[in-house]
Amino acid sequence: MVARKPLHIFTAVIKALFLRELDMRISVGKSGLFWTFFEPFLQIFIFVAIRVAIMNHTGKSMATHYNLAVFMASGFIAFNLFKHILNASKGAFQANRGLFAYKQVKPIDTIFSRVLVEMFLSSIIIVIFLAVGFITEQDNLLPENPLMLFAGYIWLVLFSLGVGLVVAVGNTFFVSVGKFIGIISFALLIFSAVFFPLISLPSAAQDALLYNPLVHFMEMIHGAYIVGLDDRFVDYRYILMWTVIPLFIGLWLYRRLEKRIISQ
Amino acid sequence: MIELTNVTKYFRTNAGKKYILKDVTMTLPDGNIGILGRNGAGKSTLMRMLGKIEFPNQGTIHSNNTFSWPLGLGGGFVGNMTGAQNVKFVCNLYGLSKDETREVIAYVKEFSELGDYFDMPIKTYSSGMKGRLGFGLSLAFDFDYMIIDETLSVGDARFKKKAKDVLLKKIENCHVILVSHEMKTLQQMCQTGLLIHDGQLYYYDNIDEAISRYNDINKKGK
Repeated sequence: MVARKPLHIFTAVIKALFLRELDMRISVGKSGLFWTFFEPFLQIFIFVAIRVAIMNHTGKSMATHYNLAVFMASGFIAFNLFKHILNASKGAFQANRGLFAYKQVKPIDTIFSRVLVEMFLSSIIIVIFLAVGFITEQDNLLPENPLMLFAGYIWLVLFSLGVGLVVAVGNTFFVSVGKFIGIISFALLIFSAVFFPLISLPSAAQDALLYNPLVHFMEMIHGAYIVGLDDRFVDYRYILMWTVIPLFIGLWLYRRLEKRIISQ
Repeated sequence: MIELTNVTKYFRTNAGKKYILKDVTMTLPDGNIGILGRNGAGKSTLMRMLGKIEFPNQGTIHSNNTFSWPLGLGGGFVGNMTGAQNVKFVCNLYGLSKDETREVIAYVKEFSELGDYFDMPIKTYSSGMKGRLGFGLSLAFDFDYMIIDETLSVGDARFKKKAKDVLLKKIENCHVILVSHEMKTLQQMCQTGLLIHDGQLYYYDNIDEAISRYNDINKKGK
């Protein structure tokens, strides 16, 4: 057998794991795949309905100057990506344990490939949404600042990867980390400015919510997407910190514990 | 050639450290090596260390050769993937092209004689079936060393014979490191022996010598 270069091995492993994960998603049950694509539609439908109901109830003519469906879609797709990456990394080592028998497969590869799968599925969802929006002739369908939106999306992935890595390593040695994630996941949905713009809140609430890094990401993405919203609340230094520190801690813990994870 | 330098390996148990290897330095010349040792002496751990999926607590194991994954009963598979998916995964892992992958899948399917089970999840397999799949899969690749842990004892008598014949043919071009409790198999496959006992390794040029030393140890143990 010819010796291969490390990078060559790495890409082969990632490709193999990526295809395996996709294969699993498709073959394990059609309902799972259906739900992957249907869930965001349902979420957005429900939250648009709630917002409209509240607006009718209060009687105020709070007709938003932006398209509500587009607003919800851009928020939920990004938030779901974060949530899915976190959940996927949580179980990545456990689910792929058997594959560590092949020395090429390092535990961290399973996280990278799962993140790629989530990004892949997320991009399909984005295409579907744009298609549906185009067919139903939604106004303001296209992003105001596509480049910034793309940067925000990639940044969110890096942030999720860092947090996911910490959770994955933590979950291997302390089970409670995974349970904790399950609990806060729902709370995060409410407190992350996913389905409302931060500017609509009183300023005390704004200050409190801004400790949550996800709020900054949602504001950044909404600001880049929606004409009339901007990134005035986004503290880029704050989310940079939230990206670099978890990545650093995660990689450091991983390096120290990699051998134990493999031979566990 | 496999070089072990100051290798120490232990497991923590409630009763303290249980040493598998204690500061072992040794160079193993290339050849077909049979590994002997009593139950729990650390044969499988040694194999896993050679396969680079278990690591010494101290010291290094170095070799320029390529090693197969440790072939044992059922290792290296994920339960909710089918046999075919697992084979495809390993082909991707080693960067095989689409055509090569197709060939390997066809070969493994035929060799392992799993029939319809080949497209069923691995968790429905018996341990013998897993062993057959893993053994067939490993034959499709060319390594310098095959690391085999008792796999030859899977399946019925007919499959055992077939596996042994194929392996004998295979090791004309590569080497094998074999753990087995069947002395006859060891004598047939291996020329040299490695005895693992009380945290030390003993290398013998001749497998027969290793076997007789092993028998001595077993007698003393009683």
